[in-house]
Amino acid sequence: MTDESEADAILSVRNLEKHYPVRSGLLRRVTGHVKAVDGVSFDVHEGETVGLVGESGCGKSTTATSLLRLEEPTGGEVYFEGEDITEYGSDDEQAFRRRAQMVFQDPNSAFDPRMTVGESVAEPLGIHGLRDGDRQRRIVEDLLERVGLSADDADQYPHEFSGGQKQRIALARALILNPDLLVADEPVSALDVSVQAEILSLLDDLQSELGLSMLLISHDLGVVRQVCDRVGVMYLGELVEMAPTEELFANPQHPYTEALLASIPDPDPRNRGDAVELTGDVPDPSDPPSGCSFHPRCPRVVPPADYDFPEDSFREVLDFRLSVENGDVDGDEFASPADVRDEFDLPPELPDGDADAVISAAIEDVLAGDTGAAADRLGDAFETVCEREAPELVETDAGHPAACHLHGAASEHAPPELSASDDD
Amino acid sequence: MTEPLLSVRDLHTQFDTDDGTVRAVDGVSFDVEAGETVCLVGESGSGKTVACESITKLVPQPPGKITGGEVVFDGEDLTGLSGKALREYRGGRIGHVFQNPQGALDPVYTVGDQLVEAIRLHRDVPKSRARERAVELLDRVGIGDVEERIDDYPHQFSGGMKQRVVVAMALACDPDLLIADEPTTALDVTIQAQVLRLLDELQDERGMAMLFVTHDLGVVAEIADRVVVMYAGKVMETGDVYQIFEDPSHPYTRALLECLPGRGRALETIGGSLPDPTDPPDGCRFHPRCPHAVPKCETGSQPDFEDVGGDHEVSCVLHGDEHRLPDAMLEVADDD
Amino acid sequence: MPSTELESARFTSIDWATESGGWRSVRLRTAGLVAALLVVAALFTYDYVVAPRELFEFLDWDVTRIDWLFLVSTVLFVRYAVVPLAANRDRAASYAAEFARRPAGVLSLGYILAFGVLGVVGPEWFGLARVDFGTKLQPPVFATFDAADVWPYTCVGNSVGDVCHGTWQYPLGTTRVGEDMVKLIVYAIRIGLQLALSAAMIMVVVATAVGTAAGYFGGWVDDVLMRYVDVQQTIPAVVVYIVLATMYLGQGLFALALIFGLLDWGGIARLVRSEAMQRRTDGFVRAARSAGASDFHVVRKHVIPNSTATIVTALTRQIPLLILAQVALAYLKLNNVAYRSLGEVLLRGLSGNPVPWHQKWWIAGFITLFLVLTVVSFNVFGDVVRDVLDPQSEVA
Repeated sequence: MTDESEADAILSVRNLEKHYPVRSGLLRRVTGHVKAVDGVSFDVHEGETVGLVGESGCGKSTTATSLLRLEEPTGGEVYFEGEDITEYGSDDEQAFRRRAQMVFQDPNSAFDPRMTVGESVAEPLGIHGLRDGDRQRRIVEDLLERVGLSADDADQYPHEFSGGQKQRIALARALILNPDLLVADEPVSALDVSVQAEILSLLDDLQSELGLSMLLISHDLGVVRQVCDRVGVMYLGELVEMAPTEELFANPQHPYTEALLASIPDPDPRNRGDAVELTGDVPDPSDPPSGCSFHPRCPRVVPPADYDFPEDSFREVLDFRLSVENGDVDGDEFASPADVRDEFDLPPELPDGDADAVISAAIEDVLAGDTGAAADRLGDAFETVCEREAPELVETDAGHPAACHLHGAASEHAPPELSASDDD
Repeated sequence: MTEPLLSVRDLHTQFDTDDGTVRAVDGVSFDVEAGETVCLVGESGSGKTVACESITKLVPQPPGKITGGEVVFDGEDLTGLSGKALREYRGGRIGHVFQNPQGALDPVYTVGDQLVEAIRLHRDVPKSRARERAVELLDRVGIGDVEERIDDYPHQFSGGMKQRVVVAMALACDPDLLIADEPTTALDVTIQAQVLRLLDELQDERGMAMLFVTHDLGVVAEIADRVVVMYAGKVMETGDVYQIFEDPSHPYTRALLECLPGRGRALETIGGSLPDPTDPPDGCRFHPRCPHAVPKCETGSQPDFEDVGGDHEVSCVLHGDEHRLPDAMLEVADDD
Repeated sequence: MPSTELESARFTSIDWATESGGWRSVRLRTAGLVAALLVVAALFTYDYVVAPRELFEFLDWDVTRIDWLFLVSTVLFVRYAVVPLAANRDRAASYAAEFARRPAGVLSLGYILAFGVLGVVGPEWFGLARVDFGTKLQPPVFATFDAADVWPYTCVGNSVGDVCHGTWQYPLGTTRVGEDMVKLIVYAIRIGLQLALSAAMIMVVVATAVGTAAGYFGGWVDDVLMRYVDVQQTIPAVVVYIVLATMYLGQGLFALALIFGLLDWGGIARLVRSEAMQRRTDGFVRAARSAGASDFHVVRKHVIPNSTATIVTALTRQIPLLILAQVALAYLKLNNVAYRSLGEVLLRGLSGNPVPWHQKWWIAGFITLFLVLTVVSFNVFGDVVRDVLDPQSEVA
C-alpha cells in the first residue's frame, strides 16, 4: 500500500486489532484473548464500495464496529481523511459520527417500537442538536421519499412496514446526517431475494447520486459481487486476500477464497457438485491454529520440501497426522494397514517412497497401539510451513495481495515477504 | 406410471388471526416420487413451509387449520389420520429437518440420548441396540470421534455439526421421505456445501425421497430433480430443474431468477410487495406485480395449469390458448 | 422503481456549527415537573420550619410525613404516567382499544381506577367511621344477625324477635363498636393508595436506575450492583421494618413505605436489568450509538421506555403484596395508621368478643373479599398491561 493510495483514501485502516479478554475463575482473571480482529489493514477510497466477506465468526462485523469506534479497538489506527480517529476527543468524535454512519443487519430490531418512523429517522438530528420539529419533519419527509417511501409514512410505527421497507427506513436514518462514509453490516441478509435486489439497487443509486464511500459487510458473495468495487476476504480475524471484485472472482489467490467461491451454490443445475469441499469447521477464535489459521482446513496446504507429493495429495497425509496427534485414532478399530489407509483416504502407496515409508511406519505404530510414537514420527517428517509461520499479506502474481505461503517462491524455507516479488 | 410416494392434492391450510383469515396454503398440489428430490421454492410468505408442515399436520392447530385437500402418502390419506397414527409416520417413515438446528435439539439432553429416544419411539429395540444405531448414524453424518461426542450436549457442537445431528435424528428410522425445511439457511456457505453434499449422498444411499423447502435458487439448482415454485399460497409453476432454470415460463419464476445478485449484471427488481395475506387479489396472485399482466389476469381465480411440455406446468393465462405469449417475451434473458 | 428521480445530489445540508441544543429546548413537561417539585419543597419548608405544629388551615389538613411522600410520588406519577399518555393521544387511544378487547382488562382497570379515585377523595366523601355502640354489629343488607347473646343491642333495620335484618344504611354491616364497614374499607383504600404509590415510586426510581445501569453498562458495574441486590434480597424488608420502625422511625405508614420502597426493589431491578441487556444489542440502540448518541440519551430514550411494560407488570405484583403486608403488620399490632387499619378491624372481627367470629362473619368476610379483589385486580391488570404495552408484540 503506497502513500499515494493512502492520500486519497477517505478511510485507512491500519493493523486494526480487537481482542476480547477471556475471563475465568472466581476473580475473573484474564486467561486468554479472543482475537476477533487481528491486524487488519485496508483503504476505502472516495466514492468506492469495499466489501468484507467471510463466514460467521471471522470478525468482519467487529472490524466494522471497531473502525467506527462503536467498540474501542485494542490496537492499530484508523485514519478518516488522514486524521487518526482513535485519537479523537469527544467533540471531534461527535463530528466524525455525523460523517460516518452504519446500517445494521436486522431491520426488525432496528427501530424502537415505541417511536414513529419519523421520530426514529429524525433521532440523529436531535442527537446532534437540531431539535426544531418542523425542520426535522421536512428533512425526514424529503429523505423518506428519496428512499422510495412516502412522506406520510413518517407517522406510522415500524411494525406496520415489511422487512424491505424497514431497511429503506434504516437507510434514510443512516443518511439523514449526510455522511461521507456508510458502513453497512449485512444490510440485506435478513431479506428475501427479490427484496434484496431492491435494496441493493437503492444502495447503488444512492451511492452514485451522493458520492458516498461505502464499506459493505456480508457473508454472501453474490451480494458483494453485485455492489462492491473491491473485496477483502476475512478468515479468523485476518484479511487473507484483497482484490478488485471481478479479479477476485475470476482469479482467487488464496485457497480459502477459492473454497468460498466454490461453495456458493451456482444457480445453474448443469454445474453441480464441482465444489471444493472444505472439511471441518471454523476453529475456535480463542485458540486459533498456529501459523496460517486456515491450514487445518486448507485443501492446498504446502507439503514439506523434503518429500515429493503429487498436487493436493498432502491434505490427506496432514489430516492423518492431525488425527493421530489429537488421539482420535484407535489402533484396535483397524484390522490391517490397508484399513487405516482406507479410513483416511490415503492411497495404497504414495509416489514418494520416503514419504510412504514414514506413513507405513506410523501405521504400524498405530496398529501396535503406540499412537505417541506415530505422532512423533509423522510430526517430525511432515511439518508444513503453513503451521509454522503465519503468512503475510503480500502482492501476488495476479496483481493483488493475498496471505498464503503458496505465493512465496521457495515457500517452505524463505520468509515469504522476502521472496514475494521474485516468484517466477 | 406408478403411484407417487407422496401426492398432495388441492391442499388448503389457513390461519385465523386477529386481522382475518390467512389462507397460507390455498389449493396446492404436487407429487414426490420415490427417490426423487422436489424443491418447494418461494419467498417468505409464499406458504412453502406451511405446505410441508401440513403434510404430517405439524402446523400448530389452532390457529392453523387444514381445511381441505388430501395428502396421500404411499396409498394412505394422512389428512384423515388420528394423532396416534400420524405420530407413527412422523419421524418414522417421514423424517423432518428444520431450519434452525438450535431449536431442534433439546439443550438438557445429550445428543446420544436424543437419538436413542428418536429411535426407540418408532423401533422396539433395547437401549444398547439403539445406542449402537445412534453411533452408526452419527458416524455416517460425519461427526468425527463419535464414541466421545455422543455424550456431549448440543451446545458443545457448532452450528453445522448440530445440523448433522438433526439430520441423523431424521434418518433414525430410515424414512422413505425426508422433509427438509431450509436446512442450510442458518449455516455458512462452506458448511452449507458440506450439509448439501451429505444430504445428497444419504439420499443416493438410501433411495429416499426428499422434499426440500428453500428460498435459495442456488441451492435448488444444486440438489433438485423437480421444482415447485410457490407464490402467496399458490403454485405458479412446476417442472424439472432444467426446465425451471433454462425455460422458466411463469413471469414470477423469471423475475426470481433475474433478481439473483452477483451474476455480473444489473439487478432486475420485481417491484411492489407481497399481497395482503388476508385479502389476496383476484385472478392470478402475481398479477399486481407482473410486468406482462393483461386484463384477464385480474379476474376469476388462479389460472389453470397449462402443460408447456414434458410435465412442465404453468399457472399463467399467457400460456392458455387465448394468449400465447409472444416469443420475445418468453425468451429468457441471456444466461451466463 | 422509486429511487430513480433524485434531483439534487445532496440531501438538505445542515450547518452543524450553528445548531446548538441549549436551554431553549428544555421541554414544557420537564419545566412543569421541576415547578411542581419546587412547590412541594416550598410547602414542606413552610410546614416544617415556619409552622411546624400547625395545620394547613384552609384544607383542615395536618400534613404528615407519609403525606409529603405521597405528594412527591403523585407529582412523579403524573409526570411519567399521566402526562405521556395525555400527550400522545393516538397511543393512549390504541392502548384503550387494546384494553377494551379484553374483558378482564376492563374490569381490573375499572377496579383500579375506582381504587385510585376512592383513595384520593373517598374518606372525605364518605367520612370516617365513628364509634357508636348504638349501631354495633349491624348485619349487611339482605343478611341477618341473631342478637340473642348480645346485650345491649339495637337493630337499625327490622328485627323479628332476636333476629336483626340488615339495612342499606350499613350495606356491609358494622363492627362490634358500631363502625360502618363501608367507611372502614374506603379508608383502607386511602391507606393502600398512599402506601402503594409512595413505595412504588421509590422502588421504580431505584430499581430502574440500578437495573438499567447494571444491564446497560455491564462489567464491574453489573457485578457490584447485582451482588448488592443479592445481599439485600437475603434481608427481608419486614424484619428491617420491625427493627427500624420500633427503634427510630415509628410504626407508621411512612416507615413502612420508606423501608419497603428502599428494600423491596431487587426483583424489579433484575427484570429491568435483563431488559436493558437485551436492548443494548438491539438495532435501534446500536444505530443511535453509531449516530453519536450518548449513553444517557440511549438509556433515557430507548432503554427505559422499552422497559415500561416490565416495570409496570412487576409493580402490579409488588403493590398488592405491600397492601397485604400492611394489613398483616397492623394485625400483629406492628403498624399504626392515623385512623384505623383493616388489620386491627380484622383482629377484632376474628376475636370471640362478644360473639364468635362466624356469627359476625361479614367483618372478616368483607375484609378478605376486599383484599382478594385488590390482589386479583392488580395481577390481572399487570398481565393485561404486559400484553398491551409489550413492544415485542407490536413488532410481530
